[in-house]
Amino acid sequence: MEEEQTYLELYLDQCVAQDDLAPSRSLLLSPVVPDDAYMPNPSHPETVFNSHLEEVKETSGNFSSVDLSFLPDELTQENKDQSIIRSKHEIEENYKTQSQQSRLSLSREQDIGLGLISNSSLSNSHSHLYPGDADSVQPSLEKPNSMPLVSITPMTPMTPVSECSGIVPQLQNIVSTVNLACKLDLKKIALHAKNAEYNPKRFAAVIMRIREPRTTALIFSSGKMVCTGAKSEEQSRLAARKYARVVQKLGFPARFLDFKIQNMVGSCDVRFAIRLEGLVLTHQQFSSYEPELFPGLIYRMVKPRIVLLIFVSGKVVLTGAKERSEIYEAFENIYPILKGFKKA
Amino acid sequence: MPGGGHCPDCGSTELVEDSHYSQSQLVCSDCGCVVTEGVLTTTFSDEGNLREVTYSRSTGENEQVSRSQQRGLRRVRDLCRVLQLPSTFEDTAVAYYQQAYRHSGIRAARLQKKEVLVGCCVLITCRQHNWPLTMGTICTLLYADLDVFSGTYMQIVKLLGLDVPSLCLADLVKTYCSSFRLFQASPSVPAKYVEDKEKMLSRTLQLVELADETWLVTGRHPLPVITAATFLAWQSLQPSERLTCSLARFCKLANVDLPCPASSRLQELLAVLLRMAEQLAWLQVLRLDKRSVVKHIGDLLQHRHTLVRKAFRDGPAESDAGEEEQQGRGQGPGQGKEEVASSSLGPPEGKRPASPALLLPPCMLKPPKRVCPPPPISTATGDEDISDSEIEQYLRTPQEVRDFQKAQAARQAATGGSNPP
Repeated sequence: MEEEQTYLELYLDQCVAQDDLAPSRSLLLSPVVPDDAYMPNPSHPETVFNSHLEEVKETSGNFSSVDLSFLPDELTQENKDQSIIRSKHEIEENYKTQSQQSRLSLSREQDIGLGLISNSSLSNSHSHLYPGDADSVQPSLEKPNSMPLVSITPMTPMTPVSECSGIVPQLQNIVSTVNLACKLDLKKIALHAKNAEYNPKRFAAVIMRIREPRTTALIFSSGKMVCTGAKSEEQSRLAARKYARVVQKLGFPARFLDFKIQNMVGSCDVRFAIRLEGLVLTHQQFSSYEPELFPGLIYRMVKPRIVLLIFVSGKVVLTGAKERSEIYEAFENIYPILKGFKKA
Repeated sequence: MPGGGHCPDCGSTELVEDSHYSQSQLVCSDCGCVVTEGVLTTTFSDEGNLREVTYSRSTGENEQVSRSQQRGLRRVRDLCRVLQLPSTFEDTAVAYYQQAYRHSGIRAARLQKKEVLVGCCVLITCRQHNWPLTMGTICTLLYADLDVFSGTYMQIVKLLGLDVPSLCLADLVKTYCSSFRLFQASPSVPAKYVEDKEKMLSRTLQLVELADETWLVTGRHPLPVITAATFLAWQSLQPSERLTCSLARFCKLANVDLPCPASSRLQELLAVLLRMAEQLAWLQVLRLDKRSVVKHIGDLLQHRHTLVRKAFRDGPAESDAGEEEQQGRGQGPGQGKEEVASSSLGPPEGKRPASPALLLPPCMLKPPKRVCPPPPISTATGDEDISDSEIEQYLRTPQEVRDFQKAQAARQAATGGSNPP
């Protein structure tokens, strides 16, 4: 425990010291970048950056070895390319709008380690970069300073971004709904399924559970179903499909329509104590801290629209997201605010 | 025709009471002249036709206000009077209630919620004027559940978009401490337990500030901390006679409810004081424990800022460069402290001041209950094949279904049979 803490401190100090552009290491998705091609020379950050980028540019077409498993279901190959071009465009625009230096970040966690060019303003300004015109992509790619792809992102820049948070919120619960599109006889389901409970006097739905992925579903007689307890979007979808299969096997013509993730809950630990009284004073319009009612501070972030529960021990719970990226973005937004209250 | 009125125009005595929308009027049935409008008359002649009406019904205002809202507003005023709040608070609270009532969700709410809403409006008013009123007090006065109160309170703050400042701790200490019945001798309070109010207040305030600084207040209900601090302050002012009195007995004497968490807050506060005492050379040799440290609370509080800085760290351990400062602590010692310790330069033989402990909230100092392993990276796509056998494990075989149905029927029969005819 002690070692982990000191390691984290070292890592954070390292990040703080890297105020100039000095990309020591960076985990790029492009598989062909040789490490020794780097020239970490703080006095000429721009040239370092450019030369590095030029190398990567050549390999920007090769994505076969890249892990894209987090992309949403309906993204086909063409769309993938589209989105990649779009995000290239975004990043390029961003680079041009700020004349200051950005730095390649060090990402260390499990989540498909993306290295992302970023500035704190990236997450703020990405909203207006969203629908990048495909038309304007072509000419701008010819420009000498054009930025090759350094990261692959679906629509939004996600995951561990710079400013040294280095912490990735873990998803704890996903709530999703799906329409089985047929009327169901709940009594029959409760009779023929081992894992179902049905108490019409208490609640008008069958509560069904499966072991893998460990989830619970509420199945209503209208054919609508709510699936809770999964730890990732894919698991939630798989679980919902399994419940639909069970219902099918019981003799109902169940289908699988309109699967939608309704809520995602994540949690993480910033590892330092937080002065909640101070936070509620400076961010009064977003925070609600009533120690007489609840020990945590309820922070309602406007963009993205996420509710965060912040506790004095440094643990943070994020909820209300429809997409994983919203949780990551919310955490990246709150981390610098919390750091400001670290030593009060 | 009631009264002795007659129409100023035609002199007829046929005056009829009629209402124009919500305004009551006296109208002459012969010539149609309006004799009086409303009942607050303006001219001397009109006053001759005056009817006796009570003030609260004299303006048309109450006709637009529903009965339940009127009841609520009356309750708000009553609550303000019971709490002896300044009159300006009353108007503000009434205004909040009216504002809340404009929302359809509130108008359609249950009576219980409207009752609680009264308390919420008063609480918000008090908070905005830094008047220390706790939710517990209001719930006791309204005979309401804290859960119901909290739900309504959060809803109304969000609905009205209000900025409600936090509870002011210093004022709460003053009000709460003043409610302790220990400042005068009485049949239940022996003379040795009576204490001077000012001394107790100032010491309690210092102890609460100390608790705040050492993370004992953040995230916790403020009242138990203040109870514990008051108890320690009272004990330390005359330790020889009061050390035998327990926290529960103290609260009973003082005629104050003992909140549940107060005893654990007391232990935490004593632990902090003990850590601070370890930094004082002349107290180290005494080897204090949780009871004996109470005698030295006065000294510890006097130097609390430096002691906290020395006894705790929030980062890596600092060097003990500050040990020489302890010499300065030799002055102002209080009764019976050895002067010997102050003459030694450097740590006393065989006992150094304890290395600084981490200054963290107690929840971070406790070992974690269970270590959650990071979840394995799953490569699920959500579209995998689902084997039939996996699904079948959740289904009952026909034999099982029959057995289950038989068992259910038997249970129904049993419960049906046991019912009295």
